[in-house]
Amino acid sequence: MASFKLDRRAFLKGLGGAAVALPALEIMLDSHGSLAGPSVPAPLRYLVCFGGQSLGGDGDPLHNDYVPTKVGKGYDLKSALAPLGVAGVADEISVISGLSIPTAHDNGGVIPAGGRSDDFHVTSLSPLFSGVRSGAQIVNGVTSDQIVAAQIGATTFPSLVYRVQAGWYLSVSAPYGRDLLSYKDGGPGNIPIPIPATVSPKAAFDSLFYNFNAPADPGLAKQKDFEWRQRKSVVDLVKTRAERLVSRLGGADKQRIQRHLDEIRDLEKRISALPPVAKGACAQLPDPGMDPTVGGDQGTDGAGNNTYDTNLGYSGEDLRAPVFCDLMHMAFACDLTRVGSLMFTMAQSHMNMFALTQQPCDLHEVGHGGVPGPNKTLEVSKAIAWHMKHFAYLIKKLRDTPDGTGTLLDSCAIVFLHEGGHGLDPSSGELNSAHSTENMACLVAGRAGGMKPGQHIVATGMHPANALITAMNAVGVKTNTLGEVSGNIPALLVG
Amino acid sequence: MRDRLRRGWSTPALLLLAGVCAAGCVVGNLDGADGNPIDAAHARQAVVSGARRLTRVEYDNTLHDLLGDSSRSGFAELPEDVNDPFDNNYTTQLPSPSLIEAVEKLAQEAALRALADPAIHDKIIPCKPTGPGDAACLRKVITTFGRRALRRSLAEDEIQGYLGLQDYAIEGNSFDIGVELVVRAMLQDVEFLYRVEVGTPVDGVPGTFKLSDHEVAMRLSYFLWGSTPSDALLDLADAGKLSTPADVRSAAVTMMADPSAKERVNRFHALWLSYHQLPHPPALTAELRSETAALINRVVFDEPQDYFDLFTFNETFLTDDLADHYGLPKPGSTTGAWVPYGTSGRKGILSHGSVLSAGTKFADTSPTQRGKFVRNRLLCQEIPPPPANVKADAPPSSAMASCKIDKYKKHAQVGSCKGCHSQMDPIGFGLEGYDSSGVFRASEIGKPECAISGDGELAGVGPFNGPAGLADRLIESGELEKCVVTQVYRFAMGRREGLADQGAIADLGARFKGDKHAFDQLMIELVSTDAFGFRKQEE
Repeated sequence: MASFKLDRRAFLKGLGGAAVALPALEIMLDSHGSLAGPSVPAPLRYLVCFGGQSLGGDGDPLHNDYVPTKVGKGYDLKSALAPLGVAGVADEISVISGLSIPTAHDNGGVIPAGGRSDDFHVTSLSPLFSGVRSGAQIVNGVTSDQIVAAQIGATTFPSLVYRVQAGWYLSVSAPYGRDLLSYKDGGPGNIPIPIPATVSPKAAFDSLFYNFNAPADPGLAKQKDFEWRQRKSVVDLVKTRAERLVSRLGGADKQRIQRHLDEIRDLEKRISALPPVAKGACAQLPDPGMDPTVGGDQGTDGAGNNTYDTNLGYSGEDLRAPVFCDLMHMAFACDLTRVGSLMFTMAQSHMNMFALTQQPCDLHEVGHGGVPGPNKTLEVSKAIAWHMKHFAYLIKKLRDTPDGTGTLLDSCAIVFLHEGGHGLDPSSGELNSAHSTENMACLVAGRAGGMKPGQHIVATGMHPANALITAMNAVGVKTNTLGEVSGNIPALLVG
Repeated sequence: MRDRLRRGWSTPALLLLAGVCAAGCVVGNLDGADGNPIDAAHARQAVVSGARRLTRVEYDNTLHDLLGDSSRSGFAELPEDVNDPFDNNYTTQLPSPSLIEAVEKLAQEAALRALADPAIHDKIIPCKPTGPGDAACLRKVITTFGRRALRRSLAEDEIQGYLGLQDYAIEGNSFDIGVELVVRAMLQDVEFLYRVEVGTPVDGVPGTFKLSDHEVAMRLSYFLWGSTPSDALLDLADAGKLSTPADVRSAAVTMMADPSAKERVNRFHALWLSYHQLPHPPALTAELRSETAALINRVVFDEPQDYFDLFTFNETFLTDDLADHYGLPKPGSTTGAWVPYGTSGRKGILSHGSVLSAGTKFADTSPTQRGKFVRNRLLCQEIPPPPANVKADAPPSSAMASCKIDKYKKHAQVGSCKGCHSQMDPIGFGLEGYDSSGVFRASEIGKPECAISGDGELAGVGPFNGPAGLADRLIESGELEKCVVTQVYRFAMGRREGLADQGAIADLGARFKGDKHAFDQLMIELVSTDAFGFRKQEE
């Protein structure tokens, strides 16, 4: 990204028709609305998505209804991936099967590099997201999206971290990291710093499109500029005061407040950044309006006390998902960010599936036989298909958006990860368990770096992080490793 | 005294006293703790405390008390708190872009709402501005509102910082613009969002600090009220009347008589016993909450008695609708009345649908989750996760039994599962006679052949039947009593206890016993210890 700086106030005034002529400014913007020279190629984009579900159901000898029978191009669509066919995007998406995350059980009782302890709960997340074996933290390494962001994220938003599932929903417990997909570098003692996701579609919208398009009317433009300067001054004062406070603190509090201060500084940078300009595919999205209520209804009890939320386990996730997909798509189109992570459902998700798939239990229970009947894996596939419906929508949207001489999807590398596979649970000895990282699979979309989508690749013995490394390479991050896992999947580049 | 500490706008002392400290009081300089041998002795017992961000509920309460704002917008828009089991565990709090942006937006919206309400507008602006650039009047806004929002008086350089925002008032030709920006800035301030304790270093006790009176006021009000200090409490801090354990106790006694304390005690129970989010339709949810709140209020406040009567009470507060729901006799009231449990087999709070909802999801109860709930929450025991490297010889059979309890029993027979599940499931079996909203059932719904006996066992203590029997076993074990004290301690400190806290918790437990288990006294005792006014820096 060019380091050229333009005073934003002058810029807004310019758009308002006051001092600077509009065409002069447009020259400085490339087709993505960002400042760049005319010869700069389309930016590359990286996205990691996640669904908190393994691929099969407990006790069912069928490991999944996900992995195609046919290998190579034109693969067949099983029920879990059927929505890709409905949306007509299967030829944009490669299925990587045969993946696994090794366990201590496989390694003489010692957790191997890039592996996990035998107890499944949460232990797949560290190797899955960061390539580092499970251990003291839920995730013990920097996640791929943040490694990419550190390299190509010099946009208004270094990365966007979104989550569709709006709440944890299990009132006797807390997520303890099951809600986190992105971790950045820089923690004390090299403990990666988690990045909590934005959960409110409305807040995400407001943040992205704040001051999009200065009004043509000079009076309105002036008012907008006035409000912008006020906002900047208020945040600046808050920042200055926080800096002074940090200097008076010691120990853990100093770090704690410093992190908050870092976020204020980032906000200040975002406020100061140039707003996106509607051009080409970059356009102001309609305001999504109020968020669906979290968990159910809020109200008061008979005594007039606030009752906060009723926990129905569902917050309109089916409505939230497309908004986040729209926002991620438009953030790419407007070059507001080049890196995203999108968690559809939390690990070990307690989201109520009834409204989505008419299954009488939460997503976690679907994997553990919560739906009556013998076809436990088909039930799991139904739940995965809900994720795929929204993923397919996003891919279709990216594919249908012209960008330079191709489409937006051409410049993307997108990976969809699932929490587990299906097979041996070394902790219980169960052979057909959802608590397994055998028989894993993931999806890869986009043509960045010359990737050839639309294939079913059997990558026997490889690790899901190998797919991430391939995608990282595709957007220009020259690395052969993610955490403790090495190597890419060359077949993704051939075909 | 009670009137002096009342919350809200009505305290007449506010304007009289607000100016006293306006010019140059700096937090931490009020106490002169250095070198005082009593302080050093007390300081040695201090425990760690860290900067704590307001929870969503505390944020909403605070906006309500500061600005009469009852939108509860923070709960809707701030990131979800981690319930561990309390929502105020600061070690789980993480800043994020979504937090910062929500805080900014909420601050702006709250400022605009406040200024749009003529009554609130006039309370924020305690003077008549002569024009948009009236610096004296804006200074008054900054010092009075700033003292309330930041819970201490502001130093001159801080006031100057806020006065800089008046440029916009002049440019926009409206005094209120300056006020709006000041309020916005304060509601985003780190010292508003966090309860930051600095204090004064105590001589001879490295890493330990004596809290300022204003910091003590914050500790008191957020623990006992879940909200910002009242004007009267700030007055006490200004006057240096919160610096000894006796002073703090006296303030706490008064504060416990405030309705906010009732609300706080109810919130404690809702989080602890996990009914803060109920998986039921709103009408039933409201009825269940009222039932439980009525019992807590009666045992703790209205007819103060041994706290453990909460678990053995032989009547409950029902409306006709809720009585219908439970299948208990109707009291003939739509607003609720006390109904004896009689021979229904129920007693105390564990028989309430609110608490029986804990550990259930959206379909049926889970004996394992309920058992885990009893272990974690009522006995303060952690169930270890399954062992890391168990190689089970025989995988469990996939052929399942047809009745629910038999299925669970079968699962728990497997070698690697047995150790933990035998700690949990039998507790849940004893509660199976009550569904996830507390309705009695003699057999599984739709399976009359699967009778539910209600027989359960609290391993290591003894067998029981139903929630009433469980309550007896829990009390008899002595562990419930210890656990209540531990949970209150966690709630007060905003974190889980460590080894260094064991002495304080044991001491508190002894006082609780000495006070005949009066729950309000437990909260008062907690803030009246010698060490309460001190903190140890977290490294």
